[in-house]
Amino acid sequence: MPLDTSTYGLALLRVDGRRWNELRRIYAQIRTQAAADGSSYLEMGHTKVMCVVTGPSEPGPRRGAGISSAGGAGGGGGGAGGQSKDAEVVVNIVIAGFSSVDRKRRGRSDKRTLEMQSTLANTLAATLHTHLFPHSQITISLHVLSQDGSLLAALINAATLACVDAGIPMTDYVTACTAGSTSTYAANDEGADPLLDLNHQEEQELPGLTVATLGESDRVVALVCESRVQISRLEGMLAVGVDGCKQVREILDQVIKAQGQKMILEGTVDKGTGLNDMDLD
Amino acid sequence: MASLKRSVDSDPLAANISNKIYVRSTKSGKVQKIVREVYLRQDIPCSSRLCQRCQTVAPKDASGKLIPFVLSDSPAGTKVFPQGHYLVPDTNAFLTAMDLFEQDSAFYDVIVLQIVLEELRNRSLPLYNRLISLTKSEDKRFYVFFNEFRLETHVPRLEGETVNDRNDRAVRKAVAWYGEHLARIKGKDVPAIVMLSNDRDNLRKAKQEGINACSLADYVKQLKDGEKLLDMIPETQDQDNIKEKRPGDNLYPEYFSMSKMMTGVKNNLLHQGIFNVSPYNYLEGSIRVPAFPKALLILGRENINRAVDGDLVVVEVLPKDQWKEPSTQVIEEDAITKNENPDAEESDDFVSEKERKALQEEVKRTHSKTTEGHAQPTARVVGVIKRNWRQYVGHIDQSSVSQSAQQGRKQDSVFVIPMDKKIPKIRLRTRQVSELLGKRILVTIDAWDRSSRHPSGHFVRSLGELETKAAETEALLLEYDVQYRPFPKTVLDCLPKEGHDWKVPQSLEDPGWKDRQDLRDLLICSIDPIGCQDIDDALHSRPLPNGNFEVGVHIADVSHFVKPGNAMDAEASIRGTTVYLVDKRIDMLPMLLGTDLCSLKPYVERYAFSVIWEMTPDADVVGSRFTKSVIKSREAFSYEQAQLRVDDSSQQDDLTKSIRTLLDLSKKLKQKRLDAGALSLSSPEVKVQMESETSDPIDVKTKVHLDTMSLVEEFMLLANTSVARRIYEAFPQTAILRRHGAPPKTNFDELANQLKVKRGLDLSVESSRALADSLDRCVDEKEPFFNTLVRIMATRCMMSAEYFCSGTQAYPEFRHYGLASEIYTHFTSPIRRYADLMAHRQLAAAIEYEAIHPSTRSRGKLEAVCKNINVRHRNAQLAGRASIAYYVGQALRGKATEEDGFVMKIFSNGFVVLVPRFGIESLIRLRDLAEVEPQAEFDAETYTLQTSGSREVKVELFQKVRVRVTDQKDETTGKRGVKMELVRTY
Ligand SMILES: [Zn+2]
Repeated sequence: MPLDTSTYGLALLRVDGRRWNELRRIYAQIRTQAAADGSSYLEMGHTKVMCVVTGPSEPGPRRGAGISSAGGAGGGGGGAGGQSKDAEVVVNIVIAGFSSVDRKRRGRSDKRTLEMQSTLANTLAATLHTHLFPHSQITISLHVLSQDGSLLAALINAATLACVDAGIPMTDYVTACTAGSTSTYAANDEGADPLLDLNHQEEQELPGLTVATLGESDRVVALVCESRVQISRLEGMLAVGVDGCKQVREILDQVIKAQGQKMILEGTVDKGTGLNDMDLD
Repeated sequence: MASLKRSVDSDPLAANISNKIYVRSTKSGKVQKIVREVYLRQDIPCSSRLCQRCQTVAPKDASGKLIPFVLSDSPAGTKVFPQGHYLVPDTNAFLTAMDLFEQDSAFYDVIVLQIVLEELRNRSLPLYNRLISLTKSEDKRFYVFFNEFRLETHVPRLEGETVNDRNDRAVRKAVAWYGEHLARIKGKDVPAIVMLSNDRDNLRKAKQEGINACSLADYVKQLKDGEKLLDMIPETQDQDNIKEKRPGDNLYPEYFSMSKMMTGVKNNLLHQGIFNVSPYNYLEGSIRVPAFPKALLILGRENINRAVDGDLVVVEVLPKDQWKEPSTQVIEEDAITKNENPDAEESDDFVSEKERKALQEEVKRTHSKTTEGHAQPTARVVGVIKRNWRQYVGHIDQSSVSQSAQQGRKQDSVFVIPMDKKIPKIRLRTRQVSELLGKRILVTIDAWDRSSRHPSGHFVRSLGELETKAAETEALLLEYDVQYRPFPKTVLDCLPKEGHDWKVPQSLEDPGWKDRQDLRDLLICSIDPIGCQDIDDALHSRPLPNGNFEVGVHIADVSHFVKPGNAMDAEASIRGTTVYLVDKRIDMLPMLLGTDLCSLKPYVERYAFSVIWEMTPDADVVGSRFTKSVIKSREAFSYEQAQLRVDDSSQQDDLTKSIRTLLDLSKKLKQKRLDAGALSLSSPEVKVQMESETSDPIDVKTKVHLDTMSLVEEFMLLANTSVARRIYEAFPQTAILRRHGAPPKTNFDELANQLKVKRGLDLSVESSRALADSLDRCVDEKEPFFNTLVRIMATRCMMSAEYFCSGTQAYPEFRHYGLASEIYTHFTSPIRRYADLMAHRQLAAAIEYEAIHPSTRSRGKLEAVCKNINVRHRNAQLAGRASIAYYVGQALRGKATEEDGFVMKIFSNGFVVLVPRFGIESLIRLRDLAEVEPQAEFDAETYTLQTSGSREVKVELFQKVRVRVTDQKDETTGKRGVKMELVRTY
């Protein structure tokens, strides 16, 4: 077994060799499934997720599994699905049994999965221009292939990419990452460094939070903290997390631009006026 | 169609990312494969102060601070490396010789590789922790180099390569890199990088690769004074190899594999538990397992199979026809294995002739028995899960030393006899026999092979001449793992700057007065043993207009001075308790706090934490409250002074009257407790009187009990119980409490039978109340001490009380059996017990005096604290008792006195006598009765030993006897002990 997170102070190195303010390697692709309206694949370290977006479309028969947003405006949403003025965002997460080390299957009613579904639905409903598609539904299906920490952040990022791919109008990118702290809550260490982008081992041993921001702004659109941490450390963690979100945005932006370039070169789309700002050289 | 490409290929950073794959098996037996990322980098510094280049890339933490470089720019040289050197030990070096690295004389500037740290952590957590504390010491200059994360030193495992080989290669790679890296420094004689290893293969490969490498022994020889350090290196691997080449030489059965043991335990075929050795018979052990109500017996060397007292072992129960009774015979290792030759042991028979004889007599006796009901299940050890080996204090057995060894400097094998009788002799190889003879020495056990009858170990250090006060005291502290070193500077830095001039602030506006009640006008006093300096508690009482009384217990406000999480708190939590020896006190907190600022001294103002009750004249509590306060004690009484004052009817001042009130109430409180079933237990208590000038012991007195002692005790119990309720109410999951489990009924089987057979008395053990009542009935009109004797014996059947965190037990389990209280904690002695300090913090939070610190409500942390203080508490008691026993021995030195004693335990070849006057017990063997050992008839049914031949006496259990007590020095072992001789029976 490798060392645990308590050795950080010896040389300011984390359990996987990163410094406190470094992201893991992020790799992403869009349009991975040609048949889907929108799709993406994203890796943050060993956390690997896939996303497929369907819609906006006529709401089908309601299925129990997905969690839907209240529809932004909230008026008349919920119950009768298709009757609302805004499009309804339905999120569905499937966590593969082989994705975690203990290979335990999680049922559809797993509490943590339900909670992530609801966080995602609410976050996206606030960013997607759902008012443009009344009486319709946007279904976001996520598959978790491998887990190594920061799962919710990876899901948000993958969903953003897939929504862009699907061409659903949105305010800006929603990008997310996690932040933590180098020592445990009980250690009460005032000098603890904040950490960016926690892996599984760090998530197990240290306090952490997930933050999502909108585009290049500092606007926080989602913030989830499930561990106990001193209020004095929170500010540093949040600052590092928001900064991480901006780095993630850069990376996602490149992925999308690269895909756009490729499609133009392949002639899939015309080099229209709207794509003038793309650098083709 | 788009496809999911392998992402790593397209990533420019891919070359710097590696994966670490390993497999682990879980407790339930599943195998898991874990893949972790590793980010390789080039900004990990070498940390040599000579290196300018690394300074520029050195990492900063989030607040922009650099970690200072560790390795010296002018490290020490050796004969071979006069230019100076940095050491790079491999895992094996730390595993076998951690003591060496902790030396002050050498082993500075050490590079600890990440891979080594990792391996060490997997092999031994205690050693890992010791190494971590070395890396934190500024003097020793140990630097942890994360070789696995540095691009140049990262070593992927080759196909077909074992993990060990890869790790060795990683060490060599790091050594080579350091060499090249430092060689680039211009214009300097750079230090050599020296790998330390005891693995011959690794050393050979290092030579091939042109790396400086030494075995531990070779390296130590290069040092000045290296000879002495040589003893601290365990026998080298070579000798083990030679041994392995002789099959059929194995004396002990092989251990089962870990997986076989785990499966066996899971299926209830094998059992797991802590191995305990009988104090009277070194060839008899016992182990308690959940599946059997009685302890399993483990008899004989072969069945014990290299288990040492305290080890966590797995045993297999033997067939029923091999079940036996516990031994009724005394078997002492010294006597039986005396004059063994430590060098030639392999050629000896495994079970020596004498041992065999002793055991045969045992077997004969049990076989002649018709009553099968007494037989106890027996078992044999099939494996050890976890060794409980520590450092042991002992001395060299003079009889094991050869003549040549006493003169020469050659390495020689000798036996060390540990002070703790339950630990077997340890074979030791040393070059300094002549210097170590007659000294108290510290040794460790390194290994116990199947082929070796005794465990082998190595010398750590000498404590000084046997029987000198300094050596014996240190020996005692080491044996009981008492932290006795002076407080480090970091701890002393936490003390108030004003030092002894610190005072309670004058102005009531001062933040120190916030939420504190002014109780300075109350007539408060303290009552303690004579000469008590760390006064934890003080009391007061006053009549109220409604006819009731107000009673207050005021406890030193230690939590005001010791803030959670600082260095002083950390040190106190490790020490856990103050340890009281006859002539010495090892404090939990620095003197300034313990005996001055916290101590509730008379005539000065002090911060306190007060518990105040309103009580009816019948001592029923009507109301209680808790508050931080400021008090001014009017007087610090000794128990004797307070007693005299109370008894003197001419004293009619308010203070004396209030003590009388307290005394009156305390008697009523005590009666209530006894009515509820509280036990009054006993242990022989004596006090050693010292010559005031030379502090030599001159006399031993049994402690006299005074009413004023009960007075203090009752109110402390009441305060503890009240606080326990309050903190449990505030923190149902995390309150720190103290429980005393009800003893299993079988614990009393033997005592009950003894009382029944010998005196026709019944011992009821259904409840503490029934036990208390039946103990009260155990009286002998002619012999007042008989009742105390039974209480002493009953006390030994009890469980020990323990601290725990409330969330770990169900409420009914909170019960304190001995005090017959539903809930209990320790609150009243925060100066000398860490548990009390925690209770103070929790109470302060419960009454909203201050916010709770996270460590005081983290269940994991609290459980760890409880575990530690339970051990410390027990060790402190044992150390205190051992200290008294030592001084009693010293007080008796050169004197011979006749005393009355009582027979406590009876064997087929001896009996144990307790002498109440000295509080000591000692064994009288048959062969001690006369010049020629008398014949003896032992009747186990009636606990009677009848001797005939050279001396005729009849000894029975509980009998009063006259003994001559002398001190005696055993010439062969160099041990001084109390010796008793039977003068006559009554
Ligand atoms: Zn360097």
